[in-house]
Amino acid sequence: MLKVEDLHVYYGGIHALKGVNIAVDKGEIVTIIGANGAGKSTLLNAISGVVRSREGQIIFKDNPLPPLPHTIVREGICQVPEGRMVFANLTVKDNLVLGAYLRKDTGGIERDLENVYRLFPRLKEREKQMAGTLSGGEQQMLAIGRGLMSDPELMLLDEPSLGLAPILVETIYEVIEGIKSTGKTLLLVEQNAYKALSTADRAYVLEQGRIVKSGRARELLEDPTIQESYLGVRK
Amino acid sequence: MTQFLQQMINGLSIGSVYALMAVGYSLVYSIMNFSNFAHGGVIMLGAYFGFYFLAVFKWPFVFAFFGAALGSTVLAVLLERVAYKPLRMRNAPFLYFIISAMGASILIENFVIATIGPTFKTYPQVLSREPFQIGALFVGRLDTMIFVTSAVCLALLVYFIDFTKVGKAIRATAFNARVSALMGINTDMIIILVFAVGGFLAGVAGVLFGMKYTVYPQIGAVTIKSFIAAVFGGLGSLPGAVIGSVILGLLETLISGYFSSQFRDLISFSLLIIILVFRPIGLMGKPSEEKA
Repeated sequence: MLKVEDLHVYYGGIHALKGVNIAVDKGEIVTIIGANGAGKSTLLNAISGVVRSREGQIIFKDNPLPPLPHTIVREGICQVPEGRMVFANLTVKDNLVLGAYLRKDTGGIERDLENVYRLFPRLKEREKQMAGTLSGGEQQMLAIGRGLMSDPELMLLDEPSLGLAPILVETIYEVIEGIKSTGKTLLLVEQNAYKALSTADRAYVLEQGRIVKSGRARELLEDPTIQESYLGVRK
Repeated sequence: MTQFLQQMINGLSIGSVYALMAVGYSLVYSIMNFSNFAHGGVIMLGAYFGFYFLAVFKWPFVFAFFGAALGSTVLAVLLERVAYKPLRMRNAPFLYFIISAMGASILIENFVIATIGPTFKTYPQVLSREPFQIGALFVGRLDTMIFVTSAVCLALLVYFIDFTKVGKAIRATAFNARVSALMGINTDMIIILVFAVGGFLAGVAGVLFGMKYTVYPQIGAVTIKSFIAAVFGGLGSLPGAVIGSVILGLLETLISGYFSSQFRDLISFSLLIIILVFRPIGLMGKPSEEKA
């Protein structure tokens, strides 16, 4: 479904992605794990069109992606950005409505709004509240809900567990599995490698702008070098 | 008491024109975080459009009015494309935007002086000078029309920003343009739209201002007052811009009425400065929260 081929991204003189190749198949959860500054968010932002790549290409459903973020959303890719980034100056409901900004099918939007409220009843209770008044966990729910409102085929999730209490991390990951069961495809970037690897089907390990390892998520979970570097298991 | 009410009416009339001008500054600031000092030039050209359509081309008033507003709309968008878009594309620091705005402002003013000339132009009389009389109060027809027109425009603007999907997209873009783009919002179009709306209102304000006073190339210097009103109300906040403008208009007329028109600007701006010293974000400004 998504193929990233030999992707190079530079920030000025800094070579952030050095020839990244990944593939995501329909219906999968694929995760990219790696340390701070490895280039995980850069990779998602390159797919979303927020940062430009200098070399390489990104193929989505057999076609290269258009260049601008809003045209990429139209193709069916939606990113839930790191740090939630809800529109604090708008109500919860308006945040969700804007998630469906490009859609014209009023009936479908209504249905998806109901689905998001079913997934996160808390958002329904707070629908008229300003999004800035929500707690961190609720904002993450809203950010995911807002992403779902565009009815994407591929959802890019950037650190959905960042800064959340363990109980909320569980909730968010249950939701992620729920989203997968509705037939959507997910590409998940995480520092919480244990959680990500236990949820995903496949995984890539990104180190200093390069993919250094890939495979079944379960197998990487058992991999001694991964355990040592990312899961805190001491030999 | 009668005199006080009379002054209030005059103050509301001029304050509402300031408000039309001020929201243009605020809209652009809320999205792009810089003060568009060329906005005064757009207002001034709006006043000239109205003058030419009415006095030279002899268009009916309604056509001249909308013609001037649309002319200013086109100009404001052109201004954005020529003076600001190239800077946006390069992620230039905001200081460059302000310098570009000042350059555009000087260019527009001198273009008018060089082509049309520096002299004052007077709008033809559109409305009867006979005022309405309510009890002991005299309310000018022109003042009434200015106030009603401004109020309708501002009400439509508030409806557009607060209740339509595109208005919500404008507020979202004001909050975080990068994330708005991730939601499928074409932020470049939003910027064009904001300049178009600000430009339309600038044209309306220019015509109203020209009808009440006269038209001359330095109108931009007067529109700086509306900018200050926008800062006073809380730059980036639309209700703030409106309230700041109305307060400024009332202050000006009350001071001219009871004190001296020579001291008008001195006293009203001193008051504004004092208020800003105690509340630098302005009356309605909420940093990092609601901006549009």
